[in-house]
Amino acid sequence: MEDYKFLFKVVLVGNAGVGKTCLVRRFTQGLFPPGQGATIGVDFMIKTVEVENEKVKLQIWDTAGQERFRSITQSYYRSAHALILVYDISCQPTFDCLPDWLREIEEYASNKVLRILVGNKIDREDREIPTHVGEDFAQRHSMYFLETSAKEAENVERLFMEIAAELMEQARSKELPRYETNATSINGKTTSIGDSSNCSCSRLT
Amino acid sequence: MDQTVTEENLQQICAKLSDTEVAVNNELDLILSRYCHVEAKLQNISKVLPNLTIIHSEADKLGEMITFTNRLAENVSAKVRRLDLARSRVSECQNRVHDVLDLQLCSQGVATALRNEDYEQGAAHVHRYLSMDRQLLERTAQDVSGDHTSISSSLVTLQQAAHQLRTVITHKFDEAVKDEDLASVERFFKIFPLLGMHNEGLSKFCQYLCTKLQETAQKNLKAALDAKQTDKRASVIYADTMTLLFEGIARVIEIHQPIIETFYGPGKLLPTVVILQKECDRQIKKIIREFMVHRNVSKKVHAINELLRKQSADKIDPKDLDLLLGEITIMHSRAELYIRFLRRRISNDLEIGVANIDQRKDQLQEFELYIGKSELAHAMQELLGAYLALERYFLEESVNKAVGMDTLDQDQQTSSMLDDVFFIVRKCVRRAISSWSVDGVCAVVNMACGILEGEFASQLRSRLRQGYPAGYLDLAQAYNALQTSIQHGRLQASDTELARLMFLAYLNNTDVSIEHVETLTKSLGEEIATAFPNMREKERGKFDSCLAGLRGVTSTLRAVVDYGLEQLRASAVKPRVTPWVDSFLSLNHHINEDELLGYETEEPFVQTLVMNLEGLLQVFKGGLTPSNYDALIGILTAEVTARFEKVVLKSTFNRAGGLVLDKEIRALAGYLAAATSWSVRDKFARLTQIATVLSVEKVEELADYCGADAVAWRLTPAEVRRIASLRTDLRPEDIKRLKL
Repeated sequence: MEDYKFLFKVVLVGNAGVGKTCLVRRFTQGLFPPGQGATIGVDFMIKTVEVENEKVKLQIWDTAGQERFRSITQSYYRSAHALILVYDISCQPTFDCLPDWLREIEEYASNKVLRILVGNKIDREDREIPTHVGEDFAQRHSMYFLETSAKEAENVERLFMEIAAELMEQARSKELPRYETNATSINGKTTSIGDSSNCSCSRLT
Repeated sequence: MDQTVTEENLQQICAKLSDTEVAVNNELDLILSRYCHVEAKLQNISKVLPNLTIIHSEADKLGEMITFTNRLAENVSAKVRRLDLARSRVSECQNRVHDVLDLQLCSQGVATALRNEDYEQGAAHVHRYLSMDRQLLERTAQDVSGDHTSISSSLVTLQQAAHQLRTVITHKFDEAVKDEDLASVERFFKIFPLLGMHNEGLSKFCQYLCTKLQETAQKNLKAALDAKQTDKRASVIYADTMTLLFEGIARVIEIHQPIIETFYGPGKLLPTVVILQKECDRQIKKIIREFMVHRNVSKKVHAINELLRKQSADKIDPKDLDLLLGEITIMHSRAELYIRFLRRRISNDLEIGVANIDQRKDQLQEFELYIGKSELAHAMQELLGAYLALERYFLEESVNKAVGMDTLDQDQQTSSMLDDVFFIVRKCVRRAISSWSVDGVCAVVNMACGILEGEFASQLRSRLRQGYPAGYLDLAQAYNALQTSIQHGRLQASDTELARLMFLAYLNNTDVSIEHVETLTKSLGEEIATAFPNMREKERGKFDSCLAGLRGVTSTLRAVVDYGLEQLRASAVKPRVTPWVDSFLSLNHHINEDELLGYETEEPFVQTLVMNLEGLLQVFKGGLTPSNYDALIGILTAEVTARFEKVVLKSTFNRAGGLVLDKEIRALAGYLAAATSWSVRDKFARLTQIATVLSVEKVEELADYCGADAVAWRLTPAEVRRIASLRTDLRPEDIKRLKL
């Protein structure tokens, strides 16, 4: 029996090469593997963190940015509790694609999904997108915003910990009967995730 | 003797002194007795003394002798050493002479061999030459330069011959390739390593194999393109073409690996595969291109994406995609099979050829990287992408169709859409499994979750939202009317009747679908385990997570069942139960002894109630699944007991009336308990206790019932007092005085 109280699915999306895999690796393994090959399909990692003395299990789905994997990655949007949309602050095109990504999120993800915009690679000196531009974009689309560097381990821990805290907050305030799968209310949709009965959590729909 | 001499101890001292004297005497005797012995020894010694000088001189002589021998030995060993050196030089010299002789022999042999076109012989000579220490040979040549031996010229000849042979073999090989002379190709292929041209030989040979592969592949593709539509395999012709290509490469590896291993050594499969894979990539690209064009894949995917955006009239029939989906999964699984074959072969080859484990791992990693970046992998990803887009459409559209064509058979508890939807979902996931792609399976399972939790669940819910129409005053009557209309062949039941049946069917659909989801999850888990026997930890994690998501659909469905039951309660249970129970109010509960007898045998109120309930349940008994029916009885019981409690509290009783009530409630509980497998005792707890309070003989008895130790007692003291006061024959002061 695994020992955790909440399980959340976090999905990372964004153009190829913006550093999604590096962010995940940095957070889950404390590594920055340079010369990482492109992700094939989806990869996933698990990390259990502690928020307010509660064990929270984060299931992090790292998706391939390339177009041809879109059908695979899209299928993971629906069950995601949080979606991290990543761009590269030193690469304008990755920022320009954000509206396309948002459209896709609209189409496939639950409308209550927690959305976070992340500008990665702030260790780079050739910045093309100023912080306030990213901030503006996030605000306009009611997303959380954070700039990170997977290489320098900057804000990476914070990113995931804040997501865990926020999701826990939401889960606590939303649904009361979190532990018994058969005690669901009629109007609220309560889906338990995880295979043991004492470690389910509510879906944010 | 330092004691002071006194009168008293004088005697004592004297005794002591005489004792001492005796002891000294004894000692002296002992020493004297040794004298003889010592004397003898001394005499002996003086006798031996002269011998010592002799020994000394002898020892000196011995020492000299040893030194001399030592010097002699050293001299000898130095000679031996020199001899040894000379001998090794002789042997080396012999070797060199041998080499030189061989060299001459080789150089002559090579010339003859070349003349006779006996390339094997020539190459063997060159091989011998190559195995010699060339620097040493050159030095030998210099050493004997004075003598006009043929060594240097032999060297030159051989060098030239080697060069010539290399050119000739290369040329001959190319010619053999051009002439498609397989025997010669293999003949020259075997000569390359003799000339130290391992890499060239391997690469040339693989190039040759590639051209062969290319020819076959082009022929196959052409045949595929020319194949008639009526051909039995027409629907999977591209998958077949791909299969042929993979089989061809596998056969090439199968046949030539032993030759390569024998002549080039083990561990050479990886470079071989790398060269062959280039051709494979080229051919795959061609096949995929033709496939995409002739099967209209991109157009279909595009059209589907358009359709998903805006609902248009001219939809693609999902059935039309069935064959294409099948073909894509075959293609993908064949490619996967082929890669697994390569991986296995290369890993076996490395195990023999590379001793170092780390190096072996590196090379395997190199293979994975290479194959991961290959056109083949790329093509597979494209295929999978197209497959998933089409499969998603197939799944959604087929489910929509199944829901749209939903029919209800009169003798079925569920409607056709239930089995249809689950059939489709199972079919799609199974098809995904047959593609052998972990990500593909996961994606389709995710899609299945989406459609079951989304479209399917909302269909169920929206039907249940319409409620259970209670048009007739009496449901049994409605049911009979329906039955007769069916019996008379009027299959078109009235709207209300149909709506009622549909409501029940959908309630059942939801209930059964929970079971279906559970079975589906379990059986898919097993099928996946069989299809992917050597899953890595991460892949297993992916599957587990996606299947857990599928299992999670049950909670959405349970919520829908609860919603439906609530609807049923509101429209079919509550309105009917209320008047039935309320009739209790119109009855007199002040019964005299004579009437009591009559009641005991007849129980008129509860008999009627049970009959009514029976009538109500009868309507649903056959129409609901066992678990829904049990849930309905649960609702009914809750409704009846709650209402009953209300009406009891509005009535007044005497003791006989209380006794009758107690009896009636027991009868009612007995009836409902018999109707279901669930326990209704709990729901009746309060009601039975109310009846107990109402049937006491004396007020004091109450204290025993609701004492502190009565765990199962549900009524509060205030309630007990209030209920007791309904008994008109109990004195209010007694009740008030009661200590609870």
